[in-house]
Amino acid sequence: MAEIAMMSGFALILLGIFGALTNRNLLRMIVAFSIASTGVNVVLVSIGYLPGRTAPILDAAVPLESAAAQIVDPVPQALVLTAIVIGLGVTALMLAYAYSLFRHRKSLDISDFTELKW
Amino acid sequence: MSIDWPRIGYAALTLFIVINYGMIMTALVRKIGARVSGRYGIRIYQNYIDLVKNIALRSKITHGVMYYLGPVFRLTGGVGLLLFVPTIYGSAMWSNFSFAGDLVLALYFVFFGTLGMALGAAESGHPYSAIGITRGLSQVTVAELPLALAVFAISLQYQTLNITDIVAAQQGGIFNWTLFTNPVATLAALFAFVGTMMRSPFDVVIAPQEIPIGPPTEYHSSYLALMQTNRVLFPIAKTVIYMNLFFGGATNWFEFAIKVFAIYMISVLVGVVHPRFRVEQSITFFLKWGLPVGVLAILLV
Amino acid sequence: MVSPILIIAIGLGAAFLLGFVNEDRKGIAFALTLAALAAMSLIALGWTLAFAAGNAQTADILTAGFPPPFAINLRMGPAEAALSLLVAATGFLSAIYMRDALYRHGRRAMAVLLVAIMALTGIVMTRDIFNLFVFFELIVIATGGLVLLSEDRRALAAGFKYLVVAQVISIMLLIGIAFVYHAMGSLNIDDIGPVALGFSGAGLALFLVLVALFLELKPFPANGWALDIYESAHPGFSAIFSAASGSAALFAADKVLATSPAWLPLATAIGIITFIGANILALRQNNDRRLLGYSSVAQIGLLLTIVGQRDLLGDSYLFIAGGVLVAHAIAKAGLFWMSGLVGHRDLKDWAVLRANPVLIFAFATFVAMLVGLPPFPGFYAKWDLAHILMAGDRAWLVALILIGALIEAGYLFRWFGFATKREAPEGFPGFSVNKMGIVFVTLLAGWTSGWIWGDLSANPNVLSMVPVLFALAFLVLEPLPARIKNLIAIAGLVGWFVFRYPAYDPLQLVFAIIILVGGAVIFLASFNWQGRRLGFYPPAMLMYAGLAMLIEAETSFTFFASWEILTLGSYFLILRGKMSEPHALSYIAFSLGGAFAILAGFALAANGTQPFEMAALADVAQTAAPYVFILLAVGFMTKTASIGLHIWLPGAHAEAETDVSPMVSGILLKAGLFGLWVLLMHMGQTQFYGINLTYFLVWIGAISAFLGGLMAIFQEDAKRLLAYSSISQMGYALFSLALMNHLGWLLALMFVINHYVYKSMLFLAVGGVYARTHTKLMYKMGGLITLMPFSFVSVLIGIIAMSGVPPLSGFGGRWVFYNAIMTADMRLPIILIFLSGPIGFLYLFRLIHSIFLGQLKDEHRKLKEAPFWLLVPQMIFVLFLLAFAVVPGLILRRVDAYISTFFPEGGLEWTSGGIISEFGYWNPVAIMLVIGVIFVSVFLLLLWMNHDAQKVKQFNIGFAGERPYRPETTHFAWNFFAPYRKAMGFLVLPVVTTFWNAVTDVLHETADFARKFYTGNGQTYALQALGFVVVLFLIGSGGTP
Repeated sequence: MAEIAMMSGFALILLGIFGALTNRNLLRMIVAFSIASTGVNVVLVSIGYLPGRTAPILDAAVPLESAAAQIVDPVPQALVLTAIVIGLGVTALMLAYAYSLFRHRKSLDISDFTELKW
Repeated sequence: MSIDWPRIGYAALTLFIVINYGMIMTALVRKIGARVSGRYGIRIYQNYIDLVKNIALRSKITHGVMYYLGPVFRLTGGVGLLLFVPTIYGSAMWSNFSFAGDLVLALYFVFFGTLGMALGAAESGHPYSAIGITRGLSQVTVAELPLALAVFAISLQYQTLNITDIVAAQQGGIFNWTLFTNPVATLAALFAFVGTMMRSPFDVVIAPQEIPIGPPTEYHSSYLALMQTNRVLFPIAKTVIYMNLFFGGATNWFEFAIKVFAIYMISVLVGVVHPRFRVEQSITFFLKWGLPVGVLAILLV
Repeated sequence: MVSPILIIAIGLGAAFLLGFVNEDRKGIAFALTLAALAAMSLIALGWTLAFAAGNAQTADILTAGFPPPFAINLRMGPAEAALSLLVAATGFLSAIYMRDALYRHGRRAMAVLLVAIMALTGIVMTRDIFNLFVFFELIVIATGGLVLLSEDRRALAAGFKYLVVAQVISIMLLIGIAFVYHAMGSLNIDDIGPVALGFSGAGLALFLVLVALFLELKPFPANGWALDIYESAHPGFSAIFSAASGSAALFAADKVLATSPAWLPLATAIGIITFIGANILALRQNNDRRLLGYSSVAQIGLLLTIVGQRDLLGDSYLFIAGGVLVAHAIAKAGLFWMSGLVGHRDLKDWAVLRANPVLIFAFATFVAMLVGLPPFPGFYAKWDLAHILMAGDRAWLVALILIGALIEAGYLFRWFGFATKREAPEGFPGFSVNKMGIVFVTLLAGWTSGWIWGDLSANPNVLSMVPVLFALAFLVLEPLPARIKNLIAIAGLVGWFVFRYPAYDPLQLVFAIIILVGGAVIFLASFNWQGRRLGFYPPAMLMYAGLAMLIEAETSFTFFASWEILTLGSYFLILRGKMSEPHALSYIAFSLGGAFAILAGFALAANGTQPFEMAALADVAQTAAPYVFILLAVGFMTKTASIGLHIWLPGAHAEAETDVSPMVSGILLKAGLFGLWVLLMHMGQTQFYGINLTYFLVWIGAISAFLGGLMAIFQEDAKRLLAYSSISQMGYALFSLALMNHLGWLLALMFVINHYVYKSMLFLAVGGVYARTHTKLMYKMGGLITLMPFSFVSVLIGIIAMSGVPPLSGFGGRWVFYNAIMTADMRLPIILIFLSGPIGFLYLFRLIHSIFLGQLKDEHRKLKEAPFWLLVPQMIFVLFLLAFAVVPGLILRRVDAYISTFFPEGGLEWTSGGIISEFGYWNPVAIMLVIGVIFVSVFLLLLWMNHDAQKVKQFNIGFAGERPYRPETTHFAWNFFAPYRKAMGFLVLPVVTTFWNAVTDVLHETADFARKFYTGNGQTYALQALGFVVVLFLIGSGGTP
């Protein structure tokens, strides 16, 4: 199960990066990066997953004394939350950039923005 | 410091003898040359007549201070060179002022007159003078090179820079001369000797047909008289150095006269049978022939 | 002590508070921003000072009340404090600098700036690897925002490209962090155990983290995105991006690397490739900010290299890395801020800075800081780094670092040359006071950091050396009139000489006389300049300070510091000439190359011991000794302009100002000679594969003497002629020094003295003529003897002395020379020396003939004698030469005795009747007397016969009965030695120049070709970043089992 999650996570990452590198359209690139960061998040979660354990919520089903042996690792899940938030911010910023670039340059093609080079 | 009057007297006497000897010898050489080519040639006392004529000239001009001093430098160079080198071996008095410096002094004092003359002639503003100077200076730099190497070789051979000591080492028979003990060095030095005697094939400096007489073009009257005096004196002063270094020196004035004449005739003989070199040709000649012999000389010691 | 967490809290809090400020109350928002940044800086400053004073201990700050790894902890140690200060202060200054842009964009922009600075301090302080990631992402977002402060529209595209690459990096970082956590079970950096170098499991995880951090450092060649930002962003932000972001990211990499030393070689490799690669590419940059970008990338690369060497550096690590980092940060921030003062983006547009001399001084300071010259932190760091690496058998790395640094120095100094020499634009509107103030503060910070590093260093502080301080004092005195400054300068030189006199040994004494007393004599000529003469005295005195310290240096450090100081001073001095720009550049390039060779040589010799006494050179291990010898000799020979390393000299000396030429020729060249002297004194018998190394020096000296002279005779420019003659003279001196016998050394010393005198004299004479004729081309002159008699006399005496004709002092040199070679082992090189003597005569005659003799030109008929103050030193030199010719023993006798301590054999005997050697004798007084008497007699004779000679006019010459047309056609001067050129011209083909040109051309062409790599396409950049990782992985996993 964890292997499948991790594999699909990596597949998403590669897919995303491939998409970001092959699509010239800014919006498609941003979407591709979103896919890739989703993939990263999947990988993160899959790392924390331990087979046969339960969610890391301390309640009646998971007594405090044996919690460490029963729950999956909560830290990666916390990390994922943070990563999602950050990913949101970056995606928003990129979209704003894409908007602004289109407004000023009337183009969404990344290869049109090569006036800075060498 | 007390003045050594006898020494000064001997020096003046040396000068007197050498100038007169030179006057006659150079006239004789010219006469021989004329006879060889079937002419009668000049009278043997012609040089004296020329000298008096030049001094007596009434039209005298000057182009400036250096122009005026040029002949003075020139003659000082000749006289000084003669007196800084011991003339007669074995005589304290005929050694003149050689106590002031050794072989190195003689080698470098040669340039004193050259420099002064070049400066004086250059001030005249005559382009031929300048052309003559550039030719002369260009040529002499390489012409002197074999001599410098030869001198280095023999000073290594004798382990001294003292001319008197070098002559002393050659006494006791003709085969003690450097000519025989170190023929390679002697040969190298003779390249330089022929090259700096202002005779064909190395006389493009004064090339009469091209640039009247080169550096002295503008000189006349007493200037020319001084330079003429130098022209009989200076080659002998130089020949004396060669005589002392390579041909055993001279123990009396008779030997002196014979040896100087014989050595002088080397350049004459070479001259009469060779046409004139252009400057770059003579430079190449000395680098191609003179230099290797000189190098051989210092390597063989 | 205030809790360091407040730095982060204040930044974050103020950014939130800005949200409550009314959009229109920009003043309040800006004040709040500044206050927050100031508070952050002050807290960091407080910690830094506390650490400096030893009052503070490294503190761990726990958050959320749990110890790590259950909660994030921050750490405040000395490095963290200093870096936080650097980051916050850069932010503070940049905020002031960007005031207009921040006002325009309002409080949101200010908030973003605060977040950026806060996040940077966070990166510095945090010990949690995931927290590191969060801060990095914050910086990405903040950078994306701040880039837009620029008025340059292109910044928009640059920002997007940056975000694209940042996404790729963050993906890698996050995966890496996840797997590190998986492997280690902790996110705390201190729990990341030593991970062995490997590319699977934990190794792969750490590899991903590290490579992501490296990519944040913009490694070559995966850095196009960063360059675009540098080029287009607001310079205020670029300063942060370079100085603060770079430093923080570097520290992050350092933190992670510290856990697993096995990975250090990776950092070293990436760092050094980046350092060299970025510097080469920078060579072809014309855009100032992009150039600074390349340079920033390179500097960070150098720092990464140093990080990679931390295993070797041990206790010195912080001092070295800190020195380079501080120098880089201050200089780069300063330069970016300065670029905001310049209206246009071409490097040549920096000429506008000349409107304010302090800005030029600031520019010079920043360039010197980047290159690592004294008295700045980079210098001490470079010194220690080279020593430790050499002792650790990493000479190859020292070589690579120094090569990279040399290339960097090349383009930085070229740029500085543009600024000082190119045409300043018309209609200049003036500088913003605000921005200029920031630059001045940075300038002050730069010098302060120099003092601090000097103080921290185990070696003496350059800024507490009296001569250096005296020279720097002239910066303050600049407003005074030149003549007063000149008086102070002369008093300083003479005063120092008198003060130090008792401490000199005879050898030092001779050099001291030339440098200090001789320098003062040349300064007499400087009275000729009126006005304030800005920018002349500080570099001149810096050069003299370096020289004065050099001859007294007892340790290799003082020696090297003095060497660099005199190099720097002389560079600025040479640069002053009207046409000096390319020549000054080639001078500094060769000099720094030489200096680096010296540094490597000293480092190799010291083998880790510091301070290293100069005398200990004699005890260097047999295996290292030949290399030490070669490195030092090559270094010193760049200064003596030995053949092969000589091409800088003619232009540098010929194009310098009239009174500078004698300083840099007559005096400065002696520094190289002094170095060689010290080298031979201690290591003269060093063998290399059985061959004595002095053998090569003899050859090099002889070839220099010969070819230098040969090149001199073909010059039409009088000062170039003299310059080439210096190559020849220095060749002589090197030759005689390397003979390694008693008289050889005496001869070298005579050359030292004579060369100073006649080269100074001739340069001043030619300079005086130039002041009147406004040309240096000799064939355009002629016949000046009657108009400039004094100048003529000094040239005449100079010529006689220099050519070695008796009776003047040059002859003494020839005499000693002949005696010296009598005992020399080598004979072949002597042939060249024999030939170069008469050649010297040729070019000197050309000099005097073409200028003073021959035909006077029409336009020169009304010229006056050279300026009075130029003649004064010349006449002093004339008198000296005459005196030295008669009584050479006054100076030489003591030195002769001193040399006997090294070579007891073969000394001279000084008697009343002359000087006697083993082989010959020489009586200067008698020679002078005899020649004098003969000369006067002949002269009187001529006067008697010819006293009534009539002075005739110029054209009254025997010219086939005609009058010459014009002086121009009659003055035979151009191509004076044409026959010589026909015969020997092939020897002076510019082979060496062609070679060095080819070297620079190849570098430039490589740069021009390679920079096409940065296509400007964001996707290409992302691909390059990925490719970088893949290549690194393949090389890494291929290289480890």
